[in-house]
Amino acid sequence: MIKATKQKERPKPFLFPEFCKACGRCITACPKNCITFGDTINPKSGLMPVQIDMELCNGCGLCLSACPEPYGLMPQVDNHEPIDPKTLFGEKNSTASKAVRVPDEVLPLPDMNPLIIKGTYASAIGAALAGCRHFFGYPITPSTEGAELMAKILPELNGVFVQAVSEVATVNMMYGCGGAGMRCMTFTSSPGFSLMLEGISYMIGAEVPGVFVNVMRGGPGLGNIAPEQGDIKLACRGLGHGNTYAVVLAPSTPQEMLELTMLAFQLSFKYRHPVIILADGYLGQMTGKVNLPKEMVKPGLPDWAVFGDEAHRANLICSIELSEQDLEQHNLHLMEKYDRMISTEQRADCYFCDDAEIVLVATNTPSRMAKGAVEELRRAGIRVGLFRPISLWPFPIDAFEQSISEARKIVVVEAGNGQLEDEIRLAMSKAGIMNYLPIEHIQRYGGVLPSKQAIVDQILAKEVQQ
Amino acid sequence: MSTVFYQTFERHAHGAGLKGHATHYCAGCGHGLVQKYLAESIEELGVQDRTVAISPVGCAVFMYYYLDVGNTQAAHGRAPAVAIGHKMANPESIVISYQGDGDLASIGLAEIMQAAQMGLPMTVIFVNNAIYGMTGGQMAPTTLSGQVTATSPAGRTREMGQPLKMAELIAQLDGPVYVERVALYDNKQRTRAQRAILKAIRMQAEGRGFAFVEVLSECPTHLKATPEEAEQWVKEKMTPIFPLGVKKDLETEPWFAMKKPNHSVQKLMEVIGANKKKTPTFCQAFPEQIDSQDIALKLAGAGGDGAQTAAMLITRAAINEGFDATHIPSYGPESRGGTSFADVHIASEEVLSPASPTPHILVAFNAPSLMKFGPTVQPGGTILYDSTVISEVPNVQDDVQLYGIPFTQIAADLGKVLVKNIVALGALQAATDLMPKESLLTAIQQALANKCAMIPLNEAAFESGAEALCLEMDRRN
Repeated sequence: MIKATKQKERPKPFLFPEFCKACGRCITACPKNCITFGDTINPKSGLMPVQIDMELCNGCGLCLSACPEPYGLMPQVDNHEPIDPKTLFGEKNSTASKAVRVPDEVLPLPDMNPLIIKGTYASAIGAALAGCRHFFGYPITPSTEGAELMAKILPELNGVFVQAVSEVATVNMMYGCGGAGMRCMTFTSSPGFSLMLEGISYMIGAEVPGVFVNVMRGGPGLGNIAPEQGDIKLACRGLGHGNTYAVVLAPSTPQEMLELTMLAFQLSFKYRHPVIILADGYLGQMTGKVNLPKEMVKPGLPDWAVFGDEAHRANLICSIELSEQDLEQHNLHLMEKYDRMISTEQRADCYFCDDAEIVLVATNTPSRMAKGAVEELRRAGIRVGLFRPISLWPFPIDAFEQSISEARKIVVVEAGNGQLEDEIRLAMSKAGIMNYLPIEHIQRYGGVLPSKQAIVDQILAKEVQQ
Repeated sequence: MSTVFYQTFERHAHGAGLKGHATHYCAGCGHGLVQKYLAESIEELGVQDRTVAISPVGCAVFMYYYLDVGNTQAAHGRAPAVAIGHKMANPESIVISYQGDGDLASIGLAEIMQAAQMGLPMTVIFVNNAIYGMTGGQMAPTTLSGQVTATSPAGRTREMGQPLKMAELIAQLDGPVYVERVALYDNKQRTRAQRAILKAIRMQAEGRGFAFVEVLSECPTHLKATPEEAEQWVKEKMTPIFPLGVKKDLETEPWFAMKKPNHSVQKLMEVIGANKKKTPTFCQAFPEQIDSQDIALKLAGAGGDGAQTAAMLITRAAINEGFDATHIPSYGPESRGGTSFADVHIASEEVLSPASPTPHILVAFNAPSLMKFGPTVQPGGTILYDSTVISEVPNVQDDVQLYGIPFTQIAADLGKVLVKNIVALGALQAATDLMPKESLLTAIQQALANKCAMIPLNEAAFESGAEALCLEMDRRN
């Protein structure tokens, strides 16, 4: 032991017999042969601790640095007699102090001209406004421009941009950085998001915040870089292993890319939980007008963080619970969080739903086509409305139930094979809406979006038939 | 005993009984020793408050039971990535990534390589016992040739690969400043191990760089040996394959420093390019001669033709004028030379469908673009194409106006082929009166705000395009 060798007086060892596992490392370490395997069973440990002949011991200390147990062989304190550990160690486990939460500050922004930027840029700027100064990511089209903007602006803000070796590394860097209490994020696209799911499960388990912007592209497999909505099931139903859910937000304009990214950070820290933003390839790359908000956030530091300072020394970020009872309790705790999210984080936009006989349901870019279709069909005298869920999880079932009160059918418009429709069916089933309205759908796949004309034509065709 | 250990291991099954003060490691396991040396080093350097220890997956998963420091438990193999996250979150923290051989040298190879090559000051402790302990004695990447394990029951064969020498591998990289392999099998080796671990943390505390200590360790349980036999096994069997010693020790000055994140409003507004300067407007009304509320454009060409930039300028001009506008780029996989087209919408109120499958206006920079998109232009629409490179014109719908203007030639005459997209913009404005030319010129000036020297050339290109279009109209009349 480094300290021991520097000490002038050489303390003799003493042994807590119940903490000795009798590995014998001290025996081979001892040059004086004063330690031997014991022959008496310790009634507490059921093992036979070593025996030390103190008469032969010259206090060289080699046995101390050979003992793998923190409290097995220790330098002698006052006497040679083993003491009851309880009286030796006292009540207090750690000398660490209790951390105090440093609250966020909200800083007002001056009135600025609107920005003319693409969706990923809007999201990156939303993150910066939300106080994010740490970005981890791996380039993948069509999300990369967001990362590129972060690489440009974060160093100017004394922030950190790290291009990770993979999406797997990315999510784990976020686990570390978010666990340290920082606001961090990534941009990715479908194949990359698949790779992050394991880490997201760990973040949920360990209650680590972080924001994931998934600019969805065509799949499965390598697919293509055109917009699709094929990751709704991953985000809403499959966030890695275990009993996992997280708030999933779906923007439909560059403006919402900014606003929902800011919201995502707020929710992520409110719940100590990751938040997913599902955009699509069009939305990521689409340039449009983006108004800046009225205020930005200067983040504080949460009390639970493993920040690496005196105040936070007692903290632990961890998702392992060996005992079934403890893990069940932890799951109950997570489920209570999910319940709170379900009751407070449902968000939706209803467009002409009040008197709608036909309610279109769409999100992301397809919701824009659907909105155009609503306008055209209304001009043709058909009472159509658009229900646009903004939170895909929790599905905004309360607003949805209201929006279909006059409806005779639901038409789900999506760039995918019914993943949004599944969310609707499940949400209605869970809400106890037994008599489903007929649900039709308009779907395209592989990077093709349903066009406004296709929506109009299909609805008109069915209406004429009737 | 080091004060860096918790006084009671409360996290260990609630710290009851023996577990309150004894580790969960088997008798003779090396982990206990390594963690003891860690604790002593942290204490000696006085960095307990700043230390964040990353526990791996493997037998050391519960390191956080013992060390009274900030603790994070990582996913299998990812401790170095988690460590990077911690170090970046708080550069003052002392981050110790602790991993076994399956964790570091198998599932986590990519993460340790990146962390090492980045070379941030952090300390990696790699405990190599040549076997998977926690899962029950399976073959590790560092398992010796011929060694019997649960998944190499007849001994590790050549087909199963060779033992992976991580210390040598890491030392080859330029990132790390200190790499040493040590062992625990006798007093001398233990003293070296203590010193190496102390140094590896000191290198970090002093901001010198990435330090890696590989510790050859004993797993008596899965070697099916006594602790003493296991020590002998490491000494006799492992060290010939994994030679002990310093693999790299660079004389480096402290270099690592990071500033505190900046959250000033003014700075943020500056870096995102937000400003308050009023942009002048020139439009009297929405260009209803083209469409009453939503105008679709498509600009298409080869990558590098500038279709996206031109689209961007139109979008910017329209938004400056108070309309809603969107631009969606579409590229081939190539950075240059592939197909590239831009869909632009300008709406009086709100752009709904941002794609332009049937545009009002098409600008084509090459022949394939014109052949492909020409027929999609709406009746009554307008097509402009580069007659320098396009000689054949497809069939188009009724009343579509077609203008062949030599964009490239005009640009070349001005001295820079690159501005052919601006030539096209000038022609587009003259042909359709989409927006006043001042609107488009303002957008060009804004886009070139950081390259002011380019503005006159671009303005000339715009004017030349407009003139060429007028000449073409005159010729037709």
